[in-house]
Amino acid sequence: MTTSTVVKAESEQAPPRPARRRARDRLGPPWFFVVPALLVYAAIVLYPSVSGIVYAFTDWSGLGDWSFVGLKNFDTLFHDEQALGALKNTLLLTVAIVVVQNAIGLALALGVHTRIKSRILLRAVFFAPVVVSPVMVAFLWKYVYNPAPDAGLNGLLGAIGLDSLRQDWLGNPSLALWSVAFMVIWQHAGYSMVIFLAGLEGVPADLHEAATIDGAGRFSRFRYITWPLLAPATTINLMLSTIGGLKLFDQIFAATNGGPGYATETLSTVLYKQAFVFGRFGYSTAVALVLALFVAAVSLVQIRYLRAREDQT
Amino acid sequence: MTAISNGLSRAQFLRMVGGLAAGAGAAGVLAACGDGGSSGDGSATLTVVGVADEKAPLDLLTKAYTDSGAKVTFKTSYAPTDQVQTSVRTQLNGGNAPDIHVLYPGSGSAMSTGEIGKTPGLLADLSGQSWTSLIPANLKSSYSYDGKVHLFSSGLTVIGVIYNKSVFAGANVQIPKTYDEFLTACDTLKKAGKVPLALGAQTPWVTQLITYAFVASNVYRDTPDFDDQMLAGKATFLDSGWKQSMTEYMDLRDRGYFNDNPNGTTLEQSTAMVANGQAAMAVQVAPLLPAFRDAAKNKDDISMFPFPSADTADKVYTWGGANVGIGVHEKSKNKEAALKFIEFLGQQENINKWCEAVAGIPIKRDASSKVDPALESFLPLLDGGRVAPVGQRWPNAEVQPTHFSVIQELLGKKTTVDDALKKMDEVYKKDA
Repeated sequence: MTTSTVVKAESEQAPPRPARRRARDRLGPPWFFVVPALLVYAAIVLYPSVSGIVYAFTDWSGLGDWSFVGLKNFDTLFHDEQALGALKNTLLLTVAIVVVQNAIGLALALGVHTRIKSRILLRAVFFAPVVVSPVMVAFLWKYVYNPAPDAGLNGLLGAIGLDSLRQDWLGNPSLALWSVAFMVIWQHAGYSMVIFLAGLEGVPADLHEAATIDGAGRFSRFRYITWPLLAPATTINLMLSTIGGLKLFDQIFAATNGGPGYATETLSTVLYKQAFVFGRFGYSTAVALVLALFVAAVSLVQIRYLRAREDQT
Repeated sequence: MTAISNGLSRAQFLRMVGGLAAGAGAAGVLAACGDGGSSGDGSATLTVVGVADEKAPLDLLTKAYTDSGAKVTFKTSYAPTDQVQTSVRTQLNGGNAPDIHVLYPGSGSAMSTGEIGKTPGLLADLSGQSWTSLIPANLKSSYSYDGKVHLFSSGLTVIGVIYNKSVFAGANVQIPKTYDEFLTACDTLKKAGKVPLALGAQTPWVTQLITYAFVASNVYRDTPDFDDQMLAGKATFLDSGWKQSMTEYMDLRDRGYFNDNPNGTTLEQSTAMVANGQAAMAVQVAPLLPAFRDAAKNKDDISMFPFPSADTADKVYTWGGANVGIGVHEKSKNKEAALKFIEFLGQQENINKWCEAVAGIPIKRDASSKVDPALESFLPLLDGGRVAPVGQRWPNAEVQPTHFSVIQELLGKKTTVDDALKKMDEVYKKDA
């Protein structure tokens, strides 16, 4: 196909990477410029984080003395029904958020990457929820999800004759997790949109022109030009939304506090409650450590796969 | 950089930034030195951190204390319970806790007397203060850890039924004295188009109130030492009156006496329902009476009666426990000044003022005590010992949140009463 030939030809013309690296070395600032920032980062982030790991092997309550308990906290964690339920919820939420948020983000980016007059306004409108505090978003959506038949979303459904779709959005244990997922997607779809938009800006217009001359339709141009060249933006979006989904806390804490029952409990809410509500800092640190390792592992696998995809294009 | 190219040299710029940073740092250090310190004239600045419920009485009584000539300046701050639990526990561990801080009665929550008292050197001993002799015998354990009084709490609070008098009058319903009468009243109100019982179970702590209201009669009337039996491993939730209590709770759900979707309804929404007459009653704690009154068009419409969870009126017990209070940090540099303030709060006149501000019932009443008229029907039960402080002696801080969660699951029909109680028994046996 012509389009793929064009893409390949351009990549062949790219300068070899070592030369690029050498040029960067000559022009870049000296390496020791990073030392002050690194020291601050080490003191504020690395040292507390690494020293905190020790507590994962203790019975510390958050107050007073503690003693080592070996791997007991990890043994408890892998037999803890509540934590395993929270892990399942976390994974379901993450998959829903990664897939739907990025699909909507891409659709919005394609929509506002046109010549329509209101595109600047629309970009601002779609991005606006991103700048609102997650806790504020949760409180706002608690109003939207009011279970009263004449309030919020239920009121809207009633007004357009869809009374049968009225729900107890946050109170129904079977529905609450998806209501939370929708709330998070609503807030962050604009963020994905901006990253995809940046990717779209980098797609050369002449490729589209050439493909159009060759008779490629709109879908073919997206499939063979836009989508492959959006690979870096896709990598970033998938990485960020996966990490965000796995760490999700604020919106859940403010909207449902993990309830009803344990229906929206995630690993982050479990570790918060274990530490600050139940006074089990040792166990909570073990949960945090497992979560951090899990996020790191998922991110590494994801980035290797997506980078490989980028190299193929 | 524009600023540099316009006549400001790199060295000048760095000196300026450094100077600003040093200035900011020095200001911070000076401000920190000013916190909670003592001045040369013998006066002290006492830092006080409380929960929002304590703002009204503490604002009133700290002012009264300074007006009385005490050489003390107060630096008070208030926050929701979650935030206080996080910040004050961290400060206690870090050695920079406020001189006086919120403390919950009994054990079983992260900021409770029993939980903080377990770690030596955090809570000052108040046992020698004269007001401690006023603490009712059945509440001593709520104020103490290991035999020492650590909690100052001015009085008791109760769980009962907050109701709208106009709705009752409109449906021609009288205050029920027995459980049968209560069910009849709910039925009549439902037929009159009113929600008999507003329940805002999305607010987790609200979920426990109906269980506690039942348990006071179903468990503690015949087994007053139930907590001791549980702690000794001789009793379980599943094989006790808790089962009957939760079954009756869910029976109210099945009869349709709650508002639709209680799990999706917040405390504020349920309060509004009673206040505006959409609902007739809500099982609630007495300190929320002012909130219901504030939400009602006519404050006099709102009143309260004991939850009638027995076949005959004379068998009704009420949940009654010490109200949230304060403790003194043992390592405070201003410990003596803080203890003097607690002694001041313990004077009968000030106990009365605190209770009036929170619709509480003083630990000891005198002629000048003004109990909220809505709570007068509780006084015979309290004076007659028909009171149970359910939930103030849990062995760890997970039992109570587990209770919240299983009630939400029961309301959502995701579990059974037996499974819910088994889960609570499992959590009860966990290490503290």
